[in-house]
Amino acid sequence: MKSYDFLFWGYLVVWTGLMVYFVILGRKTASVARRLDALEAQAKRGGSARST
Amino acid sequence: MQRLYDVLRAALLAATAALMPVALYLIFVNAPEEKVMGAVQKIFYFHVPIAAVTFLSVFVLLAGAVGYLWTRRAGWDHLSIASAEVGLVFCTLVLITGPIWAKPAWGVWWTWEAKLTTTLILWLLLAGILLSRAYASSPEQGARVASVLGVVAALDVPIIYKAVDWWRGQHPIVFGAGKTNPLAPGMMSALKVSMLVFVLLYALLVAARMRLAALEDRLAALEDAAWRSQ
Repeated sequence: MKSYDFLFWGYLVVWTGLMVYFVILGRKTASVARRLDALEAQAKRGGSARST
Repeated sequence: MQRLYDVLRAALLAATAALMPVALYLIFVNAPEEKVMGAVQKIFYFHVPIAAVTFLSVFVLLAGAVGYLWTRRAGWDHLSIASAEVGLVFCTLVLITGPIWAKPAWGVWWTWEAKLTTTLILWLLLAGILLSRAYASSPEQGARVASVLGVVAALDVPIIYKAVDWWRGQHPIVFGAGKTNPLAPGMMSALKVSMLVFVLLYALLVAARMRLAALEDRLAALEDAAWRSQ
């Protein structure tokens, strides 16, 4: 029963799982923020073009 | 508001990063080895806090769901989305770390005993909440269905907690009403710090997911406005 292999895998699974989710979340947030910035800039340009 | 969010996120990140090595030291160096199971028992310091955080996430999900059904305010729905998704991640880890312990302890990876089965049902409910949002005909309908499923998921938590008492499964009960604490002092401090680390991590992930949900709402509103103006 004394096996550190199981512990190693258990530990690895937990932190790998959490880190993968953290990275996915960060990448998704960055992607949405980029699209949002682009749309806001586009809307601003459209607004200033109409006002001139 | 954004500034407050950034400060909160940085504080949570710093606290989690600082406490993580402390938890590892307490678990692997300080905590004594359990006499019967030896090193394998140490998965307990991950499995139990992760399970507790899964329960916490479902209660936060319940608060978000009830808040949304009551007020129809987006903030409650963002809390509900975030807690369901992070809860699903933690519940998945519970269902992975459990069998890693069960194989050397019980000789099988999985058995259909009450606590395991009701935990699997919780996982399916949390997955169902995310799927109901993804495939709803409108975001409002998705939020409504997900909120109702969130309330159902919360009903499963006390059933999981009491499953061994009610149906006498194989799953060990370490803590419970009328039971003396069987843990040595070194074991208890490792468990407490590990619990704190996972709760902080949960808060960090929920804050990040809520921000994403708010950004997605703004993006959808802008895309809708752009589409209408064409």
